Amino acid sequence: MNRASLHFLLAALVAIALPLFMRSGTLASEVLIFAMAAAACNLLLGYTGLLSFGQGIFFGLGSYAAGLTLLHTSLPLGVALVLAAIAGAVVATGVGWLSIRRQGVYFVMLTLAFSQFFYFLAYTFKDITGGDNGLLNIPRPAIGPFSLGDSWAYYAFVAMLFLIVFAALQRVASSTFGCTLLAVRDNEERARAIGFPVRNFKITAFAISGAVTGLAGALHALLIGVAPLSNIEYHMSESILIMTIIGGSGNLFASVLGAGFYVIVSDLLSSIWPRWLLLLGGLLIVVALFMQKGLWGLIERLVVALPMGRRSAIKSPIESPIQPESEGRGI
Amino acid sequence: MSTQAPILATEKLGVRYGSFLALSDVTLSIKSNTIHSVIGPNGAGKTTLFHALTGRVRASSGRITLNGQDITHVSDDKRVPLGIARSFQVTSLFQNLSVRENLRLAAQGRTPLQALAPWRGVDPRSQALAVADEVMERLELTHVSDRAAGELSHGQQRRLEVGMAVAAKPRLILLDEPTSGMGIDDVEAMKALIRDLGRDHTVLFIEHNMGIVMNISDTVTVMRAGRVLVEGPPAVVRDDPEVRRAYLGNMITGDLA
Ligand SMILES: Nc1ncnc2c1ncn2[C@@H]1O[C@H](COP(=O)(O)OP(=O)(O)O)[C@@H](O)[C@H]1O
Ligand SMILES: [Mg+2]
Repeated sequence: MNRASLHFLLAALVAIALPLFMRSGTLASEVLIFAMAAAACNLLLGYTGLLSFGQGIFFGLGSYAAGLTLLHTSLPLGVALVLAAIAGAVVATGVGWLSIRRQGVYFVMLTLAFSQFFYFLAYTFKDITGGDNGLLNIPRPAIGPFSLGDSWAYYAFVAMLFLIVFAALQRVASSTFGCTLLAVRDNEERARAIGFPVRNFKITAFAISGAVTGLAGALHALLIGVAPLSNIEYHMSESILIMTIIGGSGNLFASVLGAGFYVIVSDLLSSIWPRWLLLLGGLLIVVALFMQKGLWGLIERLVVALPMGRRSAIKSPIESPIQPESEGRGI
Repeated sequence: MSTQAPILATEKLGVRYGSFLALSDVTLSIKSNTIHSVIGPNGAGKTTLFHALTGRVRASSGRITLNGQDITHVSDDKRVPLGIARSFQVTSLFQNLSVRENLRLAAQGRTPLQALAPWRGVDPRSQALAVADEVMERLELTHVSDRAAGELSHGQQRRLEVGMAVAAKPRLILLDEPTSGMGIDDVEAMKALIRDLGRDHTVLFIEHNMGIVMNISDTVTVMRAGRVLVEGPPAVVRDDPEVRRAYLGNMITGDLA
């Protein structure tokens, strides 16, 4: 079995296992929704080398787009989700197009500035977004004969979309396009010197990342019935980045781990201790200092340490050179 | 050969870094299917000339034409499909990617828009892979095909650096000090390779090793302080009193072929 299929299988196992181990369908849905957002973030961070603080923009816009569609039109749920993905992609294209004009710190600063800009935009246009209160009472219409009213029914719907999105992102990551992104991340100057219009590749990566993040934002709004202002806040960008980094930026499944860990641990800790964010900060410091490959890297090390696992040591595509054949390719 | 139209020509080319004039009034004519070398002391502007020809730095004055087409304002990535490829003086590889993947990317760079399709997988029978395999064979890198470029020895990295230019199958290939830091055996192999490349490409190369320069070049351009000092066949350049005085002294040790 190649690595892509293995990771897809792991993602499917997560989707199946969550209902068995979790009591709340809402929390389980949240895990998969953020897994999508984190994987989309990883396409930029892990594959293209772009640290984007703009992910919250796309997430929030997805929430608003779906909410507005369902509140003000009688269009079906599917259309609302597609519109959310399009909104995410379009705005990501614009944000990406402008931000990648600068590199390094200035690129990061630009994405941060956009994040603030869109937050204030949402805050200012209260008539459309509901401002501080958010967009309330977003319905969750049935899809044909299937009602999504029950939280586990909705989970099943989210899980299906999650697997489709995950497979699509895997496809993107292993395409010639994805391989070129890895090259851009590795050595942008050389990528340009051998003929790749690097900007177009980065913008396309932004567009794809924005579409998936917008979809995730829409699913989140439907989950809680509200498109809150916090979905477009700077803090959302930060959370998505933290999930991605904690999981490990080497492969897409790592982001699923990161999101799962973040959502579940946040939920546990917040009920025990209101200052739980402190612990999360501490964990982030540990990751940055000692386990830069994140949770995935940790699991990798454990697998290698097991006598049985030695042979099948799993490597992420970024530390190990990828083979262009389908066998043994990373992701 | 001398009657042929030039593949590449520059007219009073100038490049500024801030207020520093690194290149001024460089008028060059590179004839098709020749091996043309550029020599000169460090800081003469040789690498800057390559940067300007490949579009990595913008010309601040003058014109560059490729096969008669004005490419002065064409961006660097768009010059590759037009048939220009280069290697760098300071090795610049995809350190974390395998040798084969480095070369596949370099071969793909000629048709970069094909790689912009996020749904298209890497076809194991693709032409780019075939080219990568062919170049590895030619540069004796096949045995390290799957190793990350960053793990190669210095000599292997320098060969791969040249291979990156070869894989683009350019009409004009620019090599910036291809033998720098190489051991004697590798230098001989590189010399043979450059001569060999001269059969199907036009080669423009910067080199400090006079043995190679005088031996395999059809034309030699001597630069100093951002300008062309002398240009001509090796025998003429070698005996030019001004060149001797200005730069070469008794450095010319190589035999004329
Ligand atoms: N990016 C740059 N910014 C400012 N000055 C530069 C830059 N690159 C090169 N130079 C200067 O331009 C001159 C020519 O450099 P270069 O083209 O590298 O020479 P050569 O390759 O002949 O040794 C040198 O004086 C060098 O210091
Ligand atoms: Mg130089």
